[in-house]
Amino acid sequence: MVRGLIFLISTFCVSISSYGASSDIALKPVIIDLGNKQSLQRGAQIFFNNCSGCHTLKYHRYSKLVGDLGISEQMVKDNLILTTNNGEKTKLGSLIINSINPDAIKEVFGVIPPDLTLTARSRGSEWIFTFLTSFYEDESRPMGVNNMLYPNVNMPHVLWYKEGLKTLDENNQLITKVQGQLSHKEYEKEITDLVNFLTYVSEPAQLERYTIGFWVILFLVFFAFITYLLKIEYWRDIK
Amino acid sequence: MSKFVAWIDERLPVSKFVKNHLSEYYAPKNFNFFYFFGSLALFVFIMQIVTGIFLTINYKPDAESAFASVEYIMRDVEWGWLIRYMHSTGASFFFIVIYLHMLRALMYGSYKKPRELLWLFGMFIFVLLMAEAFMGYLLPWGQMSYWGAQVIISLFGAIPFIGESLALWIRGDYVISDATLNRFFAFHVIALPLLLFGVIYLHIAALHTVGSNNPDGVEIKANKNPDGSPVDGIPFHPYYTVKDIFGLAVFLTIFMFVVFFMPEFGGFFLEKDNFVPADPLKTPEHIVPVWYFTPFYAILRAIPDKLGGVIAMGLAIFVLFLMPWIDRCKVKSIRYRSLTFKVLLTSFVVSFIGLGYIGMQAPTPILTALGRLFTFIYFGFFIALYFTSKNEKTKPVPERVTMHG
Amino acid sequence: MTENSNSQKRRKFLTNLTKVVGGVGGIFALIPFLSTMSPSEKTKMAGAPIEIDISAITPGTFKIVEWRGKPVWVVHRTPEMLDIISKDVNYLADPESNNEQQPEYAQNKYRSVKPEFLVLLGVCTHLGCSPLYKPGENKDLGLEWKGGFFCPCHGSKFDLSGRVFKGMPAGTNLEVPPYYFASDTKLIVGEDRAS
Repeated sequence: MVRGLIFLISTFCVSISSYGASSDIALKPVIIDLGNKQSLQRGAQIFFNNCSGCHTLKYHRYSKLVGDLGISEQMVKDNLILTTNNGEKTKLGSLIINSINPDAIKEVFGVIPPDLTLTARSRGSEWIFTFLTSFYEDESRPMGVNNMLYPNVNMPHVLWYKEGLKTLDENNQLITKVQGQLSHKEYEKEITDLVNFLTYVSEPAQLERYTIGFWVILFLVFFAFITYLLKIEYWRDIK
Repeated sequence: MSKFVAWIDERLPVSKFVKNHLSEYYAPKNFNFFYFFGSLALFVFIMQIVTGIFLTINYKPDAESAFASVEYIMRDVEWGWLIRYMHSTGASFFFIVIYLHMLRALMYGSYKKPRELLWLFGMFIFVLLMAEAFMGYLLPWGQMSYWGAQVIISLFGAIPFIGESLALWIRGDYVISDATLNRFFAFHVIALPLLLFGVIYLHIAALHTVGSNNPDGVEIKANKNPDGSPVDGIPFHPYYTVKDIFGLAVFLTIFMFVVFFMPEFGGFFLEKDNFVPADPLKTPEHIVPVWYFTPFYAILRAIPDKLGGVIAMGLAIFVLFLMPWIDRCKVKSIRYRSLTFKVLLTSFVVSFIGLGYIGMQAPTPILTALGRLFTFIYFGFFIALYFTSKNEKTKPVPERVTMHG
Repeated sequence: MTENSNSQKRRKFLTNLTKVVGGVGGIFALIPFLSTMSPSEKTKMAGAPIEIDISAITPGTFKIVEWRGKPVWVVHRTPEMLDIISKDVNYLADPESNNEQQPEYAQNKYRSVKPEFLVLLGVCTHLGCSPLYKPGENKDLGLEWKGGFFCPCHGSKFDLSGRVFKGMPAGTNLEVPPYYFASDTKLIVGEDRAS
C-alpha cells in the first residue's frame, strides 16, 4: 500500500517536470482548409524541406500523398522523398521516417525530436500554429531561442530564416529584432499551409468523411421518414 | 415455401419460436420513448461485435506495434477509419443507451417482483460491459489507455493482504506491459463477448417469462381477453418491430452524424492524449477515465482514503443490485408514487450527472467538496428510499394502462 | 370496407417501400465491410512494380530480385544461348508458348522483349519450388541438355527460355511477368509499358 502510494506520487512528480507543459498563453486561431490542395502541397514542401530532417511522420506513407494532395507519383519522388535506403532512394510505399541517430540527436538537443503524425490531433492545429509563431531570442538557452507557448523548448527556431527573430522588450512584449525573408503576413501564410498539411496528415480520413457523411445522413433521414410512415400506419390499429 | 417451413419445423421449432416470442408475444401497448433502449442496446452490441471482428483483422495486440496498427487501420486499410470510428463511437453510445435503459427501470419500477432476476441479469450485463470497455480501451495503447489502466489496476492493490498479488496477477507483470495488453486483448475479443452474449440471452429469456413492465406499472397479464391475450397487450410483431425499426433509424441518424462529423466528440469519445503512444516514463498532466466511468471515478476520489475510495466505488455499483429489496413500495411506476420518491430519484439522477462532470475535472477544493456532497446524495438515495418506501403515500394505480403517448 | 382495403394497400406499400429502401441501405452498408478486406495501401505498395538495374549482369549470368514475394530472374543470355534457342527441337511440350504463361510481347521462341534478356518468375509451374540455373551441357541432366533450368524437387526441366520439356511433372512453361524496358539499363517488372 505504501509502495503503491510512493509509486503514484513519484509518477506525478515525473509528470510535472518532464511532460513539456504548455504555458497559459492564448492559442492563435488558424483557418484549416483541407480542400485546398495547393495549400496542402505547399505545406508538404515546407515540411519535407525544413522539418523532416529531424521529425518523422512515421505512421503515414509517401504513397498516400499522391492521391490526397493531387500530385503525381513522380512529383512525390522528386520533391518530397529526400532520404535514401541502402544507396537507393526511399521507396514510394515507405512510411515517412528519417535516418537520424537517436543517441546523437539526443546529445545535441537533449531530447529526441518527436514524431509529428498525430500532433494536430493530440495538441491541435492552433497549438502548432501558435508554437511556430512564438519563438523569441533567449541567450540563456542552448539553442539561443525560447518559446512563449512551450517554455524552455529544446527545439531551435528552424524557420528563423523565414520569420526573422523576435525578442522580448521591457514590457515583456514580442518585437522583431531581425528581419527574415518573409513579411509577417507571408510567414503566417506559410505556417498556415504547414499546419494545414499536418492537420491532413493527422487524419487523412477528413478528406472524405464529410462528403460521404452528408449522403449517409441524407439517406438515414429519408429512411427514418418512411419508417415513421410505416409505424403510424400500423399503429392506427391501436387505441 | 410453406413446405420448406414445415420441414424445418419438424426438426427445429422455428414457427413456434416466432409465435411465442414475436407474433404472439404480448407487450404493453403504452410503451413510450424510454422503451426504445432495450432493442437499441441489442443493436449496438451486434454492431460492436461486427466492427470489432473487422478491427481484429488488422490490429496487432503487441506493445511494440499496437498503436501503429491502429494508425495503419485509419490510413492504409480501405474503410478502416470508418470501422474504427463506428467501434469507438459505438462504445460511448452503448453506455448512453444503457444508462437511459437503466433510468427507465428506476422510473417505472421494472426491477420489482416478478422482475428481480431480470434486473440482476441486467446489472450483471452492466458490470461485464464496464469490464469490456475498460479492457478495450487499453488496446490502442495510447497515453490515456496506459495510464488509465495503470491507475485503475493499482486500485486493486489497495485491498488488504491480497491486493498487491491480485494486481500483479491481473497485470501479469509488475507494471502495465505487453503481458497485460495481450491478456486484455484475449478477454476483450473472446471471453467477455461470449459471457455478454450468454447473459443477454438470459436477460431476454427472463423478460419473456414474466413479460414487460410499462410506464404505468400495471401488470397487463391481470386483465385477459377471452382468448387469453392481455387486454392491454399487443403482439410484439408487427407493432413493436415496426416501432423499433423507426427508433433504430432515428438512432442511426444521430449515431452516424457523430461518426462522420465529430467522431472525437470534443475529446470525450476519443481522448486527445490517446493520440500519443503509451510512454511508461511520462505521465499525462491529467489522467481521467472515459466519460462513462467518471461518475464512479468521482465517488472513488471523494473518499480521502485509498481503500475507502475503492470500497465506496464498488459499493456504488453493488447497491444497485439490491434495488428490488431496497425499494419496498408495492407501487411500481413513478407516475403513482409520492413526491418524496420523485424528489429522491431526481436527486439521484442529478448527483449521478454531477459526479460524472466532477470525475472529468482535475480535483480542486470546491469540486472535491461538491463530489462529496453528490456522493452523499447518491448513497442517500438508497438509504432514504429503504425507509420511505415502506409506508409510502402513493396515488391509486389504475386497472388499465393509460396512453400518454 | 374501402377504408380497410385502402389501409391494407397502404400498409403493403409502406412495408415494401421500407424493405426496398432498407435493403438498398443495407447493401451500401455492406460495401465498406467487404472492401476493407482487399489489399491495404501497404500491401499494394509492397506489390508495386519494381525497378531492376540490369547494367551489371554479365552475359551468361543472372540476377534475382523479389517481387510480390516471388523470385524474379533476369538472365543475360549469350549469343550461343540464343543460337541454341533458335533451333527447333522436339523435346519441348509447348515450344510456341501457346499456353498463356507470358504477355503477348513475350510469345516467341525467346519468350522476351529483347532476346538477350530473359525475365522469368523463378517458380516451378509444378508445385512452386524454385528451379536451379544450369547453363551449358550437363551429363546428369541428359544428353540433350544444352542449358536451362532444373527443378530439384520433382525433376522438371526447362530450356533457356523457360519452356518445359515433354513428360515433366510440370505441365506449362515458366511464367513471364509483365515488364518493359524503361531504358537500356532499367527494367520495370510488374506492369506493361504505358499502363
